[in-house]
Amino acid sequence: MIQAKRSTLLLRTIAGGALLTLMTGCVTSRLENAREGVTGIADGESVVIMAKSYHLGNHTERSYLSCVEDALARGRTGLNVIPHQQFVDSLFPWFEPRTAPAETKGLVKLMQRPGVAERLAEKGVRYIVWLDGDTERVASGGSLSCAAGPGGGGCFGFAWWQNDADYNASIWDLKGLESAGTISADVSGTSFLPALVVPIPLIARTQTAACKGLADQLRQFIVADTGA
Amino acid sequence: MAGSGKTAEMALVLGRSGKWRAFWLTPAAAIALSGCGSSVTMDPPTIPEPLLEPMEVTVGVRFPENFSSFSHEEETVGSEDWSIDLGRSNEVLFTQLFGYMFENVIVLGPDDDPYALDIDAYIEPSIDAFEFSVPSQTKTDFFAVWIRYRIKVFNSEGEQIANWPLAAYGKSQASALGGSAALQRAAVLAMRDAAALMIDKLDRETGVGSARTLRSQAAASPVDDDNRPLPASAKEFLPALAREFSDDPG
Repeated sequence: MIQAKRSTLLLRTIAGGALLTLMTGCVTSRLENAREGVTGIADGESVVIMAKSYHLGNHTERSYLSCVEDALARGRTGLNVIPHQQFVDSLFPWFEPRTAPAETKGLVKLMQRPGVAERLAEKGVRYIVWLDGDTERVASGGSLSCAAGPGGGGCFGFAWWQNDADYNASIWDLKGLESAGTISADVSGTSFLPALVVPIPLIARTQTAACKGLADQLRQFIVADTGA
Repeated sequence: MAGSGKTAEMALVLGRSGKWRAFWLTPAAAIALSGCGSSVTMDPPTIPEPLLEPMEVTVGVRFPENFSSFSHEEETVGSEDWSIDLGRSNEVLFTQLFGYMFENVIVLGPDDDPYALDIDAYIEPSIDAFEFSVPSQTKTDFFAVWIRYRIKVFNSEGEQIANWPLAAYGKSQASALGGSAALQRAAVLAMRDAAALMIDKLDRETGVGSARTLRSQAAASPVDDDNRPLPASAKEFLPALAREFSDDPG
């Protein structure tokens, strides 16, 4: 009896997963990286994910930043990631949007400020990853109308929209105070919403795809060379 | 009874139990209210302990009245109005910030005479302007806050030695929780921005960090009125005056 129940549950889970997979929109991804130096990470060393300053016109979403942090830290091969707000607060005010170095050239001056080098060493920060970019709706179309009355309601029509997620990650190696390289993620996703009485959303998870893709590339990029 | 019939129909549509009705009606009411405008009340922000070496000076600080109660309303044509009440946020921020930046800080009351105290410098911060923008104005997802402060610094003799205007800026994306939280965050970010700017540049812009040294030097070498060097304008003016007197037959 219990065995049968388990089988039913398993079948339902598989069916649910398959349905969820079928009910997503189309996503295309392009990920590239450019290495400038030898990387690697030792035990006790950590990574910080930061968004480039809004003073420089960057609009990277906080949700995206948190997603990359989580994805990079997750799993057996997860890296030690310091939450960005905790990092910014512990080095206040030198990583605020106004004061954070915009280029690796600024790292030398930053390290000379009182307490900064010591605090970074204490936290074991090896890499700072600067994210810039955002997810934007670039096109949409179709028509969908809904109506409701005393006898019930429903929707008819078809709508679609396309989101583009373009993100860049610049990886700074604090060991040599230099740039280790860059990774870019360019993901495009089209979502559909057909409705025949009941709307059936087929959502393309563009930003999530860009987050997972970038985080996977980052992990490979950082741990690629073990000779650090 | 028509009204009660309508309510009964709504209950049927939204859910049969009272619990479900509350579940659906609460966000619906929030959405409906958000269309009419929003009012945000700030809790005083706290800044983390900064990494810096405090300036070796004793300063007196007097906050203007609006540092303890500041509010601003933004009217947008054809859209909702927004208002923000900063309350004591500025007073708390500056007290905390100056406490970290200077060796000693004396916060003065409205009637206190700063020059009766043993201070190296006296600081008067003020708000020149406060503005914010909401997504309906900028057609973006972002709330932005601009604060323009002015810092006047006086030496221990009461002479103004600096008048520094500084513009701070904070920006935050509207979240699923609504605009109020995003506007509040943008204001906090603007205040942190001002704090970062002051830590980075206050001494360079105002010279307040040298106030004790200058005061000691002034005390060690009192000004000799007979041998005080003449200003440039006087050097040009005096010979002409002497000639005028020598030509005068009277």
